[in-house]
Amino acid sequence: MNAPLLTVKNLRAGYGEMQVLYDLSLDVHPAEIVALVGSNGAGKTTLLRALSHLLPWQGDVRFDGHSLQSLSPNRLFALGMVQVPEGRQLFDRMSVEENLLLGTLAGTARDALRRNLERCYGLFPILAKRRKQLAGNMSGGEQQMCAVARALMSGPRLVMIDEMSLGLAPVAVDALLDTLRLVRTQGVTVLLVEQDVHSALHVADRAYVMESGRIVREGPASELADDPEVQRAYLGL
Amino acid sequence: MLLAQVLLNGLLLGGLYALMALGLALVWGVLNIVNLSHGAFIMLGAYATYFLFTQAHLDPFLALPFAALALFVLGYAVQRGILNLVIRGPMFNTLLITFGLEVVITFLAQLFFSADFRTINPVYAGTNFDLGGLTVPQVQLMAFAIAIGLTLGLWAFLLHSRPGRSIRAVSQNLLAAQLYGIEPRRIYAVTFGLGTALAGVAGGLYGTVSQINPYIGTALTAKSFVIAIIGGLDNPLGVIVGGLFLGVAESLTALYIGPTYTDVASFGILVLVLIVKPTGLLGRTA
Ligand SMILES: Nc1ncnc2c1ncn2[C@@H]1O[C@H](COP(=O)(O)OP(=O)(O)OP(=O)(O)O)[C@@H](O)[C@H]1O
Ligand SMILES: [Mg+2]
Repeated sequence: MNAPLLTVKNLRAGYGEMQVLYDLSLDVHPAEIVALVGSNGAGKTTLLRALSHLLPWQGDVRFDGHSLQSLSPNRLFALGMVQVPEGRQLFDRMSVEENLLLGTLAGTARDALRRNLERCYGLFPILAKRRKQLAGNMSGGEQQMCAVARALMSGPRLVMIDEMSLGLAPVAVDALLDTLRLVRTQGVTVLLVEQDVHSALHVADRAYVMESGRIVREGPASELADDPEVQRAYLGL
Repeated sequence: MLLAQVLLNGLLLGGLYALMALGLALVWGVLNIVNLSHGAFIMLGAYATYFLFTQAHLDPFLALPFAALALFVLGYAVQRGILNLVIRGPMFNTLLITFGLEVVITFLAQLFFSADFRTINPVYAGTNFDLGGLTVPQVQLMAFAIAIGLTLGLWAFLLHSRPGRSIRAVSQNLLAAQLYGIEPRRIYAVTFGLGTALAGVAGGLYGTVSQINPYIGTALTAKSFVIAIIGGLDNPLGVIVGGLFLGVAESLTALYIGPTYTDVASFGILVLVLIVKPTGLLGRTA
């Protein structure tokens, strides 16, 4: 197998005195869809925050060979590692199009901006219709599409998505997952953090199960989906 | 006819008021700091223009870009060096620090510039022209045009340029801005610098229509605050409306009640607005 795009080794992080992640390790390979599942409070969001340098952490994290320890959030963004944060975090009082434009690197040429916009509107035609609408006034599903589209605007290599399915109707979730499958064929790697274990395991190649800040299971997504223990704990079977 | 003349004077003054308030509203909206030293920066802009005029013999209107540049650099440095320490802190801390800044700047101004009144008096200072029976003072009209032009320019900058959009992004969603390659600290410093640069231009214009001394800042901060409350923080156009409203209200007060009551009028308006609609008349405040 080729070299991992993202390697996390012995990551430790937390909030002040309270440690949340304990020696956590995982790998994500190019053009993979990897699911990270776990119950409330397991530390999934904390992991993504640490990876985006919004929290101090210790350990060895490499993205495409670069050590992340000394990189600022905007350097990570420039390297092609982007995050769709929990709760979407759109710029609510800006139009859809402005949200998308803010997903690009500063200094991107005008015609490249155009091309990226057209590509995202191609992936999410409904956003093209809503391009002038304020992001905060859209439905939850449309907002999530806008958040994913914003993350794709810069042509990233790795997209980390936190709780994409939260509060969305199953059809909306399916549409978004289809889009992720499509962009994966174009070389975009996806780390999918989900509580909706069923759909996450369905779409992912590999998966990690997280509990209390540690990885407790890992393997091909289909194997984990068939695992009786996982089924009992997360799939309600 | 007298009423029309008074309304015209009020509008001309109001344009300048709008520009004064613009920097305060911008900084308030983006950094969530009510900058109590805003008026002190206006005062510094007035002195910068005054000295460029008297020492370097530069036309005061041509001196404005230099005053703006100097005040931008000063504001950027103050934000990086001092205000970054309290950013996102409790409102009380930022009020205290900017109040302290106002005291220090005023003290230094008095030390270096003396407490004397000064005026910026170009040769065309007394020139008027006639508009259908109304007297239009040339300097006031130029100050008005520059003030409105800059306010509209800022509006376009915030709406349509990449840096302007980044400034709005930081004010709307700090987390997302950070995740998408924006450095908040840089944006804060640039925004504060823009705020003080606008204050600098407003000060230069103020010096061409009014007397200046080191103590003018406090009252101008208060007026800017009133206008920002009326106009809201979202939109420079609201600040124009607020500025014109205050200018006209003060002129009418001077006509019907007496010139010494103009400040009473502006603070009466503030109290009324805070009672009737504490979120601002035209938009979101804090
Ligand atoms: N800002 C914070 N300050 C202190 N503790 C926090 C903070 N955010 C999260 N925590 C704690 O860290 C732990 C992990 O939280 P985290 O949000 O990472 O979980 P999660 O796996 O994303 O859960 P969920 O599925 O509910 O989103 C929890 O115990 C939580 O209470
Ligand atoms: Mg979470």
